[in-house]
Amino acid sequence: MPKRTDLAAATGTDVVLRMKGVRKSFRRGLPPRRREIRVLKGADLEIRRAELVGLVGENGSGKSTLMQIVVGMLSRDAGEVSLRGRIGYCPQTPMVWEKLTVAEHFALFARAYGLEPTDARQAEGTLLDELQFERYRDVRVEELSGGTRQKLNLALALMHRPDLLLLDEPYAGFDWETYMRFWEMSERLRLEGMGILIVSHLLAERERLDRIYNLFDGRTEVKE
Amino acid sequence: MSGAVEVGGAFLREQLRSPLNVALLFAIPVFFVLIFAGVLGEFAAALGGDLAEQAATSISAGWAAAFLCGALGFFQLHSSREADRRLAGAGLGAWRVAGARMGSALALGAVASLIAYLTLLLRSGIEHPPHAAVAILFFTAIYIGIGALCGALVRGSLEGSLLVVLVFSLDVFSGPAMTSGGGLADVTPTRDAANLLIAAGSGKGSPAGEWFGAAAVGVGALVVALLAFWTVARSRR
Repeated sequence: MPKRTDLAAATGTDVVLRMKGVRKSFRRGLPPRRREIRVLKGADLEIRRAELVGLVGENGSGKSTLMQIVVGMLSRDAGEVSLRGRIGYCPQTPMVWEKLTVAEHFALFARAYGLEPTDARQAEGTLLDELQFERYRDVRVEELSGGTRQKLNLALALMHRPDLLLLDEPYAGFDWETYMRFWEMSERLRLEGMGILIVSHLLAERERLDRIYNLFDGRTEVKE
Repeated sequence: MSGAVEVGGAFLREQLRSPLNVALLFAIPVFFVLIFAGVLGEFAAALGGDLAEQAATSISAGWAAAFLCGALGFFQLHSSREADRRLAGAGLGAWRVAGARMGSALALGAVASLIAYLTLLLRSGIEHPPHAAVAILFFTAIYIGIGALCGALVRGSLEGSLLVVLVFSLDVFSGPAMTSGGGLADVTPTRDAANLLIAAGSGKGSPAGEWFGAAAVGVGALVVALLAFWTVARSRR
């Protein structure tokens, strides 16, 4: 399998993510009913700094698989993935610990991202305020509503100011006000230079996006 | 290193915040030592073994620690595998996450062992208390490894926990003094640890071979557990 490369060294361009010819199959079941499901058959994707890009496709088309390959949670069978800078990843289902509080999650991810204590506190305060869930700071995840869990899920992806932000159905469970705030925040982050990929089976805010990829039959095509 | 300690502390708090977990941490050793020991002696007689009452009481403390640690090892790995992997991918790294999980499992295992040991001490008294304590710790280490390995191999919570129970049941009912010997009895993971615990309960010493054997299996199981935690948290890049 080809190695990932650092795009900064490889190309010297503004590209923060480039995927080329990515293939992925899953094997399911036991013999004699074992079968191979080919999900990605050569997907290509490119995101530059300060771009807000959408990836759409039907349920089960492989959007989340593609994203998990980018962040390294899944291996790929073939193809190239090149990345530049730090990644922030907001998974479709919040990947959090039920018995830990919101503040404890921020502390764990601050440690993982290698943030200085002052930077971590500032990032936590800003995100709690911006996504308006400060009053839940000391509440355990198991006691949060679905929408507030999703806010935490998103905040954890953002707290280290990544160069590339990968959002998998990020606004599921958001109320209208939070949904609109999410888009305003995404546009602001784009203006600050962040490359953002938003995966969804339904993108209503098409006019806000620089480009939309459609994932169909395991391949991506730019949607006009 | 300090990262793994901090994260391990968070993982430990996560486990201890479940009131049922804490209650079972106390209830299971008490149940095993006070009630299960008698049943174990009857089973041994039915299976052709010669497990005496004192030996059955001693070994039940080991089984209590084993049962708890098998479940703890499995659920340490199973309950939060996606979140652990996300944390590792965010920059903490799979080895630190694995180390943190290991630390949390060992801390809980030590508590389970201590409660099992104290219950045994209060129930019957032990001729060789230090020997018994070490033997119970071997049970703990071995079953942290078995639980974590099952968690790494099996994704379903029901299937995985049943697999742990199956291994535990085979281990218990094929162990020393439970059968007339041969077959599974010669290859059970806790054979040497069980012999040490039975001997400690009745005031006998144990040959060096059994100490080395139990230590080797215990350390090997902890290595397996660490690798299982790492396997789940590692990047697939």
